[in-house]
Amino acid sequence: MTEIFPTTVVGSMPRPAWLLTELKRKNKGEISYEEFSTIADEAVLLAVKYQEDAGIDIVTDGEQRRDNFYSFVADKLEGIKLMTVADVMDYVEDKSRYEQMLRALDVPAFAIKSPVAIGPVKRKRPIALDELMFLRKHTRRRIKIPLPGPYMLTRASWIDPVSRNAYWDREELAKEYVRLLRDEIIQLRDNGASFIQLDEPTLTEIVYGEASRQTFMCAAIFSKVDPKEELNFATELVNKTVKGITGVKLGVHVCRGNWSRREESLLRGDYSPLIPYFQDMKVDQLVLEFATQRAGDLSVFRDVSDVKELGLGVVNPRTSEVEREEQIISKVEEAIRYFDPSKIYLNPDCGFGTFAESPVNTATTAYQKLEAMVRAAEKLRAKYS
Amino acid sequence: MSEATQLNGINLEKLREIVREVSANREKAEELNVWRARVRWLGGFRGRAYVRDHTFIIDEPSDLAGVDTAPNAVEYVLSALGGCLTVGFILNATKNNIRVDNLEVSLEGRIDNILTFLGLSDQGHPGYREITAKLYVSSPADPKTIQEIWRKTVETSPVGNTLARNVKIVPEVSIVDS
Repeated sequence: MTEIFPTTVVGSMPRPAWLLTELKRKNKGEISYEEFSTIADEAVLLAVKYQEDAGIDIVTDGEQRRDNFYSFVADKLEGIKLMTVADVMDYVEDKSRYEQMLRALDVPAFAIKSPVAIGPVKRKRPIALDELMFLRKHTRRRIKIPLPGPYMLTRASWIDPVSRNAYWDREELAKEYVRLLRDEIIQLRDNGASFIQLDEPTLTEIVYGEASRQTFMCAAIFSKVDPKEELNFATELVNKTVKGITGVKLGVHVCRGNWSRREESLLRGDYSPLIPYFQDMKVDQLVLEFATQRAGDLSVFRDVSDVKELGLGVVNPRTSEVEREEQIISKVEEAIRYFDPSKIYLNPDCGFGTFAESPVNTATTAYQKLEAMVRAAEKLRAKYS
Repeated sequence: MSEATQLNGINLEKLREIVREVSANREKAEELNVWRARVRWLGGFRGRAYVRDHTFIIDEPSDLAGVDTAPNAVEYVLSALGGCLTVGFILNATKNNIRVDNLEVSLEGRIDNILTFLGLSDQGHPGYREITAKLYVSSPADPKTIQEIWRKTVETSPVGNTLARNVKIVPEVSIVDS
């Protein structure tokens, strides 16, 4: 029987320095994706070892092969080009908004890259099946595969007018992603993935993003849109992607940015504006940050039905201090007021190395935080089983 | 092993040749001491600048009664400084055999008191009081070397020196029948 309070991660672990060197070589075209991926095998083994040693029940490959959680699709899909903000600014009219964003983030235009749809998007390589197949050879734990969600991909990669070369509008591009992601999810399920998580972090940006920092992770900046319309669009895309797929746990992850340890540069606000959309999403689990105070209170789930499971963020990936077990237990017990204990998974708020070049923690601290989470889960099991 | 001929997109032989020529030929150096531009009024707050074989528009944003078809003059000053620092950094890096993979200069200037330009105040002056120029650079060189090249670039920047020192402006006028 599966134990309650399973532990898992959201996705990424910090990459070793030597892997970053090889990643740069790949990005410069000095080595192929396949050559890089073979080198990354070793880093995946390390990431898995850390998770297994910490006692994590459902492991990922630490996203070691990815430069970040969504840009990596440029290696996997035809028609997608990794463009910097500097490249994008050559095409767009509202350049001043990009300038505002660069100043707010204190970054140069050459540093932010986004996968932009420049032609018909087709599968060149599996999006994540290679990651799953390698993991299956090297771990007996259950496996989680994070995938960039259909809304995230559409939002990041639709740049008008570049994307109009291939698609009439972003809805048409979104359909392509829904189709590609569905095919991938089915293949991942058929090959033994236990849990597939769609990353949709920009949902919080729709409700809490300000113009000056409107795009916390993409080169694409949206024109001001009606948040309700946008959230409906995102929900519809998630539902079309997972429609009718059974036999694998499906989740959606939402956070408020994870590119910096400067809390003030990340978004703030509770989940209440998103709850009606969460209720409509046909997924098994919501993987949500709650260790950070910026995510607000769990009480927003009072009287909320239709949310099947909660992947509860109990450790903050961006802090140096390791959370105490009592702190984690107390957070879980708060969640128990609104969710049945059998419906709660424990995870960090987000990845420890969402962006390869700027991990938010060291591997050692990440490991210690995972260990603390596992110890807390053991105590909770003893109490609630 | 043959010597590299290009670094940072600069032809090294050509660069050496220019340095040789300018240091040996005072007339050539004097030529490079003088720069010219002409600006013709286009109506409203718009103007067109003519510089050698190039032209560009100067306008004001709509909230300053312009039509915002181009940057305004003080923005060109910032861009000129940014351009000058970019060229200077690449020149100094290349001379020191340092590869630059990426470079951006982000500038922000604060006018001392814009009301004096509009004739609404006698306090202060309508020029920049302070300009911040931040360099973003990707290069395999060590941070100390980068800092030193940046220091030298700012110190020897023609536009930087123009702004930081008191340049004598000689106003002349010629009234022409049209």
